[in-house]
Amino acid sequence: MSLAVFRAMFLGLWRDRAALAMTFVLPAVVFLIFAAIFSGATGEQIRLNLAVADEVGDETSRRLVDALAAQASLKTVGGEGLSGDTVRDLVRHGTADVGLIVREGGRNLRDVAGFGPAPLVLVTDPVRAVAEQVLAGQIQRVYFEALPDVALGGVVDLLEDQFLELEPLQREDVEAGLAELRDEVAEAVDAGRPTGWGFDDLHETQPVTGQTSGLNHVAYYAGAVAVLFALFSAVNGAITLLEERDGGLLDRILAGPGKAAVLIDGKFLFLGIQGFFQIGVIFVVAWAVYGVDLWGARTVPWAVTTLLTSLAAAGLAMAVAGACRTRRQALTFANAAILILSALGGSMVPRFLMPAWLQDVGWATPNTWALEAYTSLFWRGEPVQALLLPWAALAATACLGWLLARRLGRTIDRV
Amino acid sequence: MATDAPILIVERAEKSYGERDVLRGVDLRLFAGEIYALLGRNGAGKTTLLRSICGRSPLDRGSVRLAGGDPFVEPRVRRRLGLVPQQIALYPSLTVRENFQVLGRLAGLGRGQIPSAIDRALDWSGLGDRVDDRIDRLSGGMQRRANLAAGVLHSPDVLLLDEPTVGVDPQARERLHAMLASLRSEGTATLITTHDMQEAEELADRTGILAEGRLCAEGSLEELVRAHFGRAKELTVHVSRRLDEAEAGLLRAAGLESGADGETWTGNAEHGIEDLAALAGTLAEAGLPTEEMRIREPGLREVFFRATGREYAP
Repeated sequence: MSLAVFRAMFLGLWRDRAALAMTFVLPAVVFLIFAAIFSGATGEQIRLNLAVADEVGDETSRRLVDALAAQASLKTVGGEGLSGDTVRDLVRHGTADVGLIVREGGRNLRDVAGFGPAPLVLVTDPVRAVAEQVLAGQIQRVYFEALPDVALGGVVDLLEDQFLELEPLQREDVEAGLAELRDEVAEAVDAGRPTGWGFDDLHETQPVTGQTSGLNHVAYYAGAVAVLFALFSAVNGAITLLEERDGGLLDRILAGPGKAAVLIDGKFLFLGIQGFFQIGVIFVVAWAVYGVDLWGARTVPWAVTTLLTSLAAAGLAMAVAGACRTRRQALTFANAAILILSALGGSMVPRFLMPAWLQDVGWATPNTWALEAYTSLFWRGEPVQALLLPWAALAATACLGWLLARRLGRTIDRV
Repeated sequence: MATDAPILIVERAEKSYGERDVLRGVDLRLFAGEIYALLGRNGAGKTTLLRSICGRSPLDRGSVRLAGGDPFVEPRVRRRLGLVPQQIALYPSLTVRENFQVLGRLAGLGRGQIPSAIDRALDWSGLGDRVDDRIDRLSGGMQRRANLAAGVLHSPDVLLLDEPTVGVDPQARERLHAMLASLRSEGTATLITTHDMQEAEELADRTGILAEGRLCAEGSLEELVRAHFGRAKELTVHVSRRLDEAEAGLLRAAGLESGADGETWTGNAEHGIEDLAALAGTLAEAGLPTEEMRIREPGLREVFFRATGREYAP
């Protein structure tokens, strides 16, 4: 009998094209929006808008400005020949994330440790403090990478000033060597080759996960959006119980040999499978668009996580429908509950950005357990054993919701 | 045709919601092959009685026996019951066939029994040429027929109908009545709740009137009329204004009672036209503002008013 209810639910959804789109297309669209935001704002593809005022305008300052403009992480805005005030305005209005002024009246760029005003001014907005750090790092890097003759000349000046004085002949040799270095560097820069002065050999990068940071965030938001929409869709499906009561169908069905449990079981089963495919669409889109590693060894653990997540959502939704007396009451309560669960559980803001106490509270939500399973799988690449606890929590949520709905169904039977 | 053995027996049914007594000892028997109309004002307890028969609203006292069993606890007993709610209780986006398939399964039919049950229902309801149309694309009359047919897919012994013809045109109503008449001839016991007195007169073999939780009248139309009017006819007088105490006394002396508006007075005319003529003379002599006087054979409507009162209860 429950399969008959399943069939009625399926045909009802299949015939309602708007509901079909809301169930399977909208979540994928919302996921793509989140993924587009977070895949490009995670540090690996960061690109700051930089406004530059070169008040000095000599060869060295132009080399520095040109070298900064060539950096992939920086994009110059506002055009050339800006004044210092224009740069400040651009930063104040947010057109530029950070500004750079090569200050007239400041020390020479070669004068690395002299007295007097610094040669460079960083114009910052405290709201975008990270932009200042990024630009400062880039200036230091570019200073050695593209202007090594200037940097070494400054060091020589410093040595001469502090420790030893060069003979005129030695000084000529040094200046000639620095001029030769400048030409070599200029040639390498023009050819797009590394100059060899960037000190990149000092470190190497070792990611602890197999995916890039952006892809981790994509996988996280695939799970986050999936749980959110699984809950919303499950509630919308579950409240058909109340619509059927208002429309007399419940009276008709309950007058027969079956009881409310037949309806609840059929709807629970349908909503669980609907949720599975809904989440499946999101992850397939994540795979197709961003290359999230869905197939292979991860497929089965993903399928188990997804089925348990959708059954948990279905169980909770059926319990809400069983407890509420009207459709409006159920929708109002469920929408509020889903928003709170999703906010606490990490479906809106990543859990790792939350304070510790809020992360602890999140363990009471199905969203957190689902996301724990998905991040274990796609982000941290952990073995299946790490998924057992989240699976148990999701399965327990599904069973509790379903049993509660059945218990509440007895009051529907006896109206 | 009705037989002597009741298929449905309700005995001393009592039910309260909080302080409110909804059923106060209802006795009702329904026989195979009869149509029983259950009348009653809003709030009289009809819906509660139907729910109790369906096994959904447990009685405080008394019992319901359906085909010898208890519908509260025995699913096999409910298998012999069909309910047709007042609303179009079907899945609107499913076709007629799909609705019958789903509801047939939920009514307890096996998968193999469904095709023949659908054929029977389509033949009976005349919906064969619309079987693959969605319910929400059928006319109101066709939706009513499908609603009715979905209740008899499993050939129930007892069919409960809650206002089955509300909101349909006369032709559709006629068709629905014909469908119910054919069920009667096949031996189905049908209990209809309705506010439509004409429908009850046309369809019902017996009628019960529920008032304040009790079955205050029951029987065939003739039995009910005889019980409330004897051989008398109903005498009605309309006056153009509320009467003063002396004027009203004249009508009361003639055995008439005032309706809720104070301008309609009804009573029995034991001698028919002679009583009317005598009263007309009396009223004319007293100068009462009489607008209309009439006598007529009493029907179910008059019996209903006589049994439940004419005053409006909001």
